[in-house]
Amino acid sequence: MYFLIITFGFLLAMRGARPAPLQRPGEGLGRIWSEATDFFLTTSLILALWALAMAFGKTQAGAREYAVAGLGIAAYLFSRYQKKTDTFFLSVLASVFMILSREPDLLWGIFLAWIVSSGIALFQTCFLGLRYKLLFSHVPTAMKGWPILCLLAGLISVVLRNLGSLVF
Amino acid sequence: MKLPESLFSRMFLAYLPFMVYPYGFFKAGVAALWIVGFLWGTVTFFWFTRRLFPGRSLKHAFFLWLIVWAQAVWTLTKLPPYWIVSVFFLTPVSFLDDAANPSHVRVFSKEVPRYFFERALAGVGFAGFVILLALVREIGEKRLGIQAFEQPAGLLLVIAVVAFLWKNQPYHMRSQRPPVPENLKLGRSKFP
Repeated sequence: MYFLIITFGFLLAMRGARPAPLQRPGEGLGRIWSEATDFFLTTSLILALWALAMAFGKTQAGAREYAVAGLGIAAYLFSRYQKKTDTFFLSVLASVFMILSREPDLLWGIFLAWIVSSGIALFQTCFLGLRYKLLFSHVPTAMKGWPILCLLAGLISVVLRNLGSLVF
Repeated sequence: MKLPESLFSRMFLAYLPFMVYPYGFFKAGVAALWIVGFLWGTVTFFWFTRRLFPGRSLKHAFFLWLIVWAQAVWTLTKLPPYWIVSVFFLTPVSFLDDAANPSHVRVFSKEVPRYFFERALAGVGFAGFVILLALVREIGEKRLGIQAFEQPAGLLLVIAVVAFLWKNQPYHMRSQRPPVPENLKLGRSKFP
């Protein structure tokens, strides 16, 4: 789950919704948390649909057999309806799949969806903050771009890991 | 020859979802080879059928194709569907661009080998990248017992080093040197 939060947090930070300019971090922060809310609601809705399909004997077997296709189509339709990016759709699909493989119960599933969404938003917030600070520091040209971004992501993941172990 | 920056971006972004798989060296290699094989199959399929999907339906067809294959592979091998995210990031951006118009290209023209060479390079690069990082993870985590490799941090730090080396390739450094001023340039040699 932790790998999922870091990898998809990084993916959404780089290829998610069109980011606000780095010079205006307040606007970027708002976008991050609004995207995280959408992510949580979409994931929870798909989990609820899955629980509904599992509740009836007639649909249970079909839902189990075509789980990936069903979840994928639901995630795609919900993402398109909200005019989200392709990365958002793929992240929702991956999260729903991982949550269901860990926790089939609806309420616990929604709780895990909340943890994933909050974790992704927290990662992106830290990432945005550090990128903003980098604007005022003299990063060598050789380190600009992917090298510094990967370094930041690695350091944030260490911090979140330790924070998570303290809380849970 | 300097390897392009965009190739690294695609390989790296395709590797990120792959990191979620808790696989060892061998399984990771097999999964990476499957992704590359599937990417080449997808590129070939849509190269020949692209004109059958007008306008925006190409994008929908592409994602439906991915979902159907994810389901088929899950049914047959129980491979979780994160691999379709890797395929998505390896696929050329222009392919899913709504504004892009397919041009008439004959099957036996020179464009075809060039097009497929670029896709082949992306696939081979991705497989190599995955195998390299799986090897580093295997050695770091199991042989040396470094705890950082049990979490994404270790791999991200290794990727940062790879990105640094990629960005500062020797050829690139030579091309960044300031050009020689006109008055210092040597003329044509009078000697053979």
